[in-house]
Amino acid sequence: MTPGTTQGMIQDSMMTETDPQAAKSPEVALAVRNLNFYYGENHALHDISVDFPARRVTAMIGPSGCGKSTLLRIFNRMYDLYPGQRATGEVIFDGRNILEHDLDLNILRARVGMVFQKPTPFPMSIYDNIAFGVRLHEKMNKADMDARVQDVLTRVALWNEVRDRLNAPASGLSGGQQQRLCIARSIATRPEVLLLDEPTSALDPISTARIEELLDELKEEFTIAIVTHNMQQAARCADQVAFFYMGRLIEVDSADRMFTNPKQQQTQDYITGRFG
Amino acid sequence: MSETVVSPTGWKPNPRAARRRRADHIATAFGMVMAGILVLVLASILWTLLSRGLSGLSAAAIMKPMGPPGSSSGLANAIVGSLIQTFLALLMATPLGLGCGIYLSEYGADTNRFASCVRFVSDVLMSVPSILVGLFVYQVMVAPFGHFSALAGSVALAILAVPIIVRTTEDMLRLVPTSMREAGAALGATRWRVTLSLCLRSAKTGVLTGILLALARVSGETAPLLFTSLGNQNWSFSLNRPMASLPVTIYQYAGASYEDWVQLAWAGALLVTMGVLAINIAVRVSARRG
Amino acid sequence: MTLATATQPKEARDKAGVSRSGSRRSGPDTAFHLLVAASALLVLVVLGGLVLLMGVGGSLAFRTFGLGFAFHDVWNPVADLYGAWAPLFGTIVSTLIGVAIALPLAFGTAFWLTAMAPPRIAAIVGTAVQLLAAVPSIIFGMWGFFTIVPFMARTVQPFLTHHFKHVPGIRFIIHGAPFGTGLMTAGLVLAVMIAPFMTAVMRDVFAAMPAMLRESAYGLGATRWDVMWKVVVPWSRTGMIGAIVLGMGRALGETMAVTFVIGNVTAVGWSLFAPRSTVASLIALQFPESPAGSLRLSALLALGFILMLLSFASLALARMLRGDTK
Repeated sequence: MTPGTTQGMIQDSMMTETDPQAAKSPEVALAVRNLNFYYGENHALHDISVDFPARRVTAMIGPSGCGKSTLLRIFNRMYDLYPGQRATGEVIFDGRNILEHDLDLNILRARVGMVFQKPTPFPMSIYDNIAFGVRLHEKMNKADMDARVQDVLTRVALWNEVRDRLNAPASGLSGGQQQRLCIARSIATRPEVLLLDEPTSALDPISTARIEELLDELKEEFTIAIVTHNMQQAARCADQVAFFYMGRLIEVDSADRMFTNPKQQQTQDYITGRFG
Repeated sequence: MSETVVSPTGWKPNPRAARRRRADHIATAFGMVMAGILVLVLASILWTLLSRGLSGLSAAAIMKPMGPPGSSSGLANAIVGSLIQTFLALLMATPLGLGCGIYLSEYGADTNRFASCVRFVSDVLMSVPSILVGLFVYQVMVAPFGHFSALAGSVALAILAVPIIVRTTEDMLRLVPTSMREAGAALGATRWRVTLSLCLRSAKTGVLTGILLALARVSGETAPLLFTSLGNQNWSFSLNRPMASLPVTIYQYAGASYEDWVQLAWAGALLVTMGVLAINIAVRVSARRG
Repeated sequence: MTLATATQPKEARDKAGVSRSGSRRSGPDTAFHLLVAASALLVLVVLGGLVLLMGVGGSLAFRTFGLGFAFHDVWNPVADLYGAWAPLFGTIVSTLIGVAIALPLAFGTAFWLTAMAPPRIAAIVGTAVQLLAAVPSIIFGMWGFFTIVPFMARTVQPFLTHHFKHVPGIRFIIHGAPFGTGLMTAGLVLAVMIAPFMTAVMRDVFAAMPAMLRESAYGLGATRWDVMWKVVVPWSRTGMIGAIVLGMGRALGETMAVTFVIGNVTAVGWSLFAPRSTVASLIALQFPESPAGSLRLSALLALGFILMLLSFASLALARMLRGDTK
């Protein structure tokens, strides 16, 4: 199956029928090939190649400055905001290399959502925070929008807490609630991939646990890439774990194997807390 | 290696996105046009100032005092007058502004009503139209004595400088961590020593910046001098008599119908602007270092 | 000075500083406290004196003409009849024109500087704009006098008169001999004078928005303009209002930039292209020729008092909109 030329080959069943190879390994949402990234003169990512399986959670771990967040920010071309930053290589998403210059960034970013280290509620009401992203891409009447808002808030388990104050400013919510709102905002545009950059680093343990539960439900539908400093979190949530060190991908494997039997010494050292 | 997922409609252009992109293009164009206009206008001002100012600027313009039209006169007494008056103004405004700023930051907690009041008044003073300060000083220092004086001009400028010094001094002192005050007190230093030799010293650069900004602000002021130091065609070093100043001379000469006076006005305008810009640049450079 | 110490509660003193620790203050400490408090008091006295003298000086005019002083449109030194409406009208209209022109200029430029311009160019232009905000106002006045006034007189006014002379509704706005001076010219010069200041403040406010918030908006697929209009502007609303109102305050009290270009005629009328006057320009021009104790001098001081109130009101407005109750 050549990316970009095949139409309608998305269902698992069809894949299994037409391509026995794909049946064994899960389908891939994002395929990274020979990716290099530069902050000006600084070569930040070296020749990364890794697959992100669809509807699975891939955790990226590694010490600060190892390039894991950089990789995440390539997937929605966030680096485009900053002159002097550039990427070479390929990131295949839905049959296209998203590093291409003529790519429609608005569409890419609608399809690849992102949640940040700290909650980033917009200076508007809870309702409008969700509607903001939706309105960018879809024309929708009030009833449909209400339904969409209720739907996504329910899915992040926030609906019951905020149903009476949808028009209140989002800044009045607690940190954990704000972060769930940001996740709701991201999934409201119906993306296929969800990027999470240390989404719980600013939250208390209880809020963190709720977000982790949420990830488990969200992966039914979304491909999730999460950057985390928290080894337990990676072990709890991820299906696949990638370990980065100094801009290089050292090892990538299923979470089980990664944490029980890493192949590389560096990975083992990091996981057992010997450095990082 | 497995294949990536492909969706049938994923990259199809979204009409809504296209509309937004159009809006974005319009806004982008708007921003660029506005920036272009502003930059062009400001550049044209600088250009006018430079070309007309430089052609009027000569050794005579700087070295010779003012005189009647057609007498190849200069601006020397106005330049010196401006220097004297702004220097004197700073001399008065600096201790007062520092004192007030120290009071507000070291003794003026939020619950101190008197301090809140002073803070507010200082902010009001910062935005008072400068001509009103001229009127005020006229009534206090000119009308009672029956004559204009350089001292009155300096006081008017000082009143404009004080609130700027107050604001920066207070802000800068508040940035000094409490731990430094505590450390000083723990060594047994008295409070005034802590304030002067620890807090003020560590906030030195910022406080100096405030004084320089005040200097830049008042050195181009014209309106407050109109009814106070008035202006003077001749050399005068007496603080008790009218004294020439560059801005007032510019004001008088620019509107005159003598070509050489107009030229001198441009030369003076160039000098004032360069002086003000030089101070501002110095502030920026020192702020970057500090 | 007892006032300051008496009204200062214990906890306030504790919060304001340290080094008390139960022991009595030393003599030099008390002296130092008194010294700095005295300078604070002096600042208070200066503003109090300013307001008081303006009010007292203007009381003769207020007594003679009543509160209607503010709305009489005759300013006639020969007949010794004075009303503030002509200069007040000039001040308000020229300020409004100035803000109306400066606002899109400043907003557009700040938008360009923070969202579009390449960093190096943005740094240069941003610094230049900040520096130009410090240029003395008399320079803008001179520039207006030598550049804008002739341009208005030779190009704009003949053009407008030729094309719109018979258009009702516009006719009375452009009415007037082509002197080039007037409210429109003054508004233009004021706009150019306050635009750098407003741009500099807006740019700082926009740039202060956390990068992560900006990125989350882009992350949802928003365009630059979506981010600007729907996230940055609401986020920096108070700061922007502050910039606008402070710019307005500058324009209200501006003397030198206006006196050069307004034409200085105390008349009232809707034409934006006929010579007019503003409070500040009228004071600057007529004060020197008004004898002490005269009704005219008092009327000018009363004008100053009203201008003081206007400038005070704009500052209060800025604080109120900022949600700053202090």
